[in-house]
Amino acid sequence: MPTEIVVVGGVAIVAVIVLILLFKAIWRVAEPNEALIISGLGAHTKNELADSLGFKIVTGKGTAVLPGFQTARRLRLDSRATNLQVNCVTQQGIPVQVRGVIIYKVGDDFTSIANAARRFLDQQDSMNGAIHELFTGHLRSIIGNLTVEDLILNRERLTSETRSSAADEMSKLGLVVDSLQIQEIEDETGYITNLGKPHAAKIAAAARIAEAQRDQEATEAEQVAAAKKASAIRESQIQQAGYQAEVDQAAAKARQAGPLSEATARQEVVVQETRAAELEAQLAEQRLQSQVRKPADAKAYETVTLSQAERDARIAQAEAEARETELRAAAQASQVKQAAAADAESVRVRGEAAAAATKATGLGEAEAAKARGLAEAEAAKAKGLAEAEAAKAKGLAEAEAIRARSEALRENQEAVIAQQLAENWPQIVEAGSKAFGNVDHMVVLNGAQGIEEMLAKALTLGGTGLGLARSLLAGGTPAAPSVNGAVPPAEPVAKNAVDGAS
Amino acid sequence: MTRVVGRQGRVTGRIGPGLVGEVMVPIRGGVEAFYAYPSIPDEEILVGSIVVVVEYSPPRTVYVARAVV
Repeated sequence: MPTEIVVVGGVAIVAVIVLILLFKAIWRVAEPNEALIISGLGAHTKNELADSLGFKIVTGKGTAVLPGFQTARRLRLDSRATNLQVNCVTQQGIPVQVRGVIIYKVGDDFTSIANAARRFLDQQDSMNGAIHELFTGHLRSIIGNLTVEDLILNRERLTSETRSSAADEMSKLGLVVDSLQIQEIEDETGYITNLGKPHAAKIAAAARIAEAQRDQEATEAEQVAAAKKASAIRESQIQQAGYQAEVDQAAAKARQAGPLSEATARQEVVVQETRAAELEAQLAEQRLQSQVRKPADAKAYETVTLSQAERDARIAQAEAEARETELRAAAQASQVKQAAAADAESVRVRGEAAAAATKATGLGEAEAAKARGLAEAEAAKAKGLAEAEAAKAKGLAEAEAIRARSEALRENQEAVIAQQLAENWPQIVEAGSKAFGNVDHMVVLNGAQGIEEMLAKALTLGGTGLGLARSLLAGGTPAAPSVNGAVPPAEPVAKNAVDGAS
Repeated sequence: MTRVVGRQGRVTGRIGPGLVGEVMVPIRGGVEAFYAYPSIPDEEILVGSIVVVVEYSPPRTVYVARAVV
């Protein structure tokens, strides 16, 4: 029982497998990019065009193909591309080399598939070669109808020409041109290059103009900006310099503050040092005062005092000696004077007596002379009243005395001279002492005694003068007997004698 | 069997006398290009116009007329 089930099961499985394999062997499916071309027993389509050909075209679905009775071939409907390279001439006769690409496919309708299948089914790979050859010729004719400008610019014209020239032949082949593109045009004559040159030059000129203008504007803007910048820099630098100056000033002040305070401090130190030096100087001075000057002063004072004392003593001694000498001289003078006075008195008394006698005798003569001289006196009086008056006032007594002396001279000359000498004694002594007056320092070797001797000598000298005077007087007495005229000349002579003695 | 005649299409290549025009016609789930000629002689149809396929000439040629829109 189980074996039967196993067998049945196995048979069923095998049958299923066989069925699957059979179906797999019979059933063919057309993929979206291909068409199945089925030919053989009973293969025909409803299409009346394909009818006569006796094959069936299946697209987009599956179909059963009886093995041995039918064959199924696949025609690819993919898009294909082939490159073209053509040396040709344009409408204007310009030789160009054109490289292009053509994209084509088998048409999707059954007519196109049938046409293509009949031509290319076994040689699908050679389709590119055929299309290449075909389109090389067509492209040459197409370009021959176009100008270079059209080639470059007029795309519609190109496609239109392509259709016009290739439509029928492509339809024969069952192919559809999707696109024809000119990839590259090589121009040996430089036509295309020259074609662009005016535009290029124009654009270049415009570019240069624009560039120049923009450059000018930019330069102007730059210069303006630079000027503003320089101005700003200048302002900034001025301000910076100002600030820097302030900073420097402050720094200099700060730098000077140290030395300044140092100098101030040093100044105070110097002041204190000066003070100290002054104090030291004062100390030294005081020390000198006390140690040197005071003793020196004391010594000087001692010396001065001693010298003064000595001098005073010497002066006192000299004074005492001078006084002594003077007194002695005075005493002698007094003595001489008294003696002379006594003589004079005696002489006067005798003279008076004689005068009375003479007066009495010569009164008449006198009266006569008086009468005679009265007129003269009057004249003289009128001529020199003031002089006579002065002379009279001054020398009235003198005249009197002289008159008396002149009278006495006749009697006793000696007495008169003695008297005159006695009267002039002080002057004589003075004149004698004048000899010593010119002497600055007189060293007297024998002290007061020496001086006395000297005076005595001087007086002796005066005495000699006295003798001379006496002789002169003696010589002059007879010549001057008159009262008025003779006496005055005698006096200067006596005086001269005294002066000459001094 | 799908048919082209009666369908509307768009002109992609100028149709006129002496020219081979092109129209794009939606068919078989896609859009196919057909060579187009004017159904009325000497008529010119510019690119972009809507046309109606009047006649179909296998494999890829149609005659078109302006569609009355």
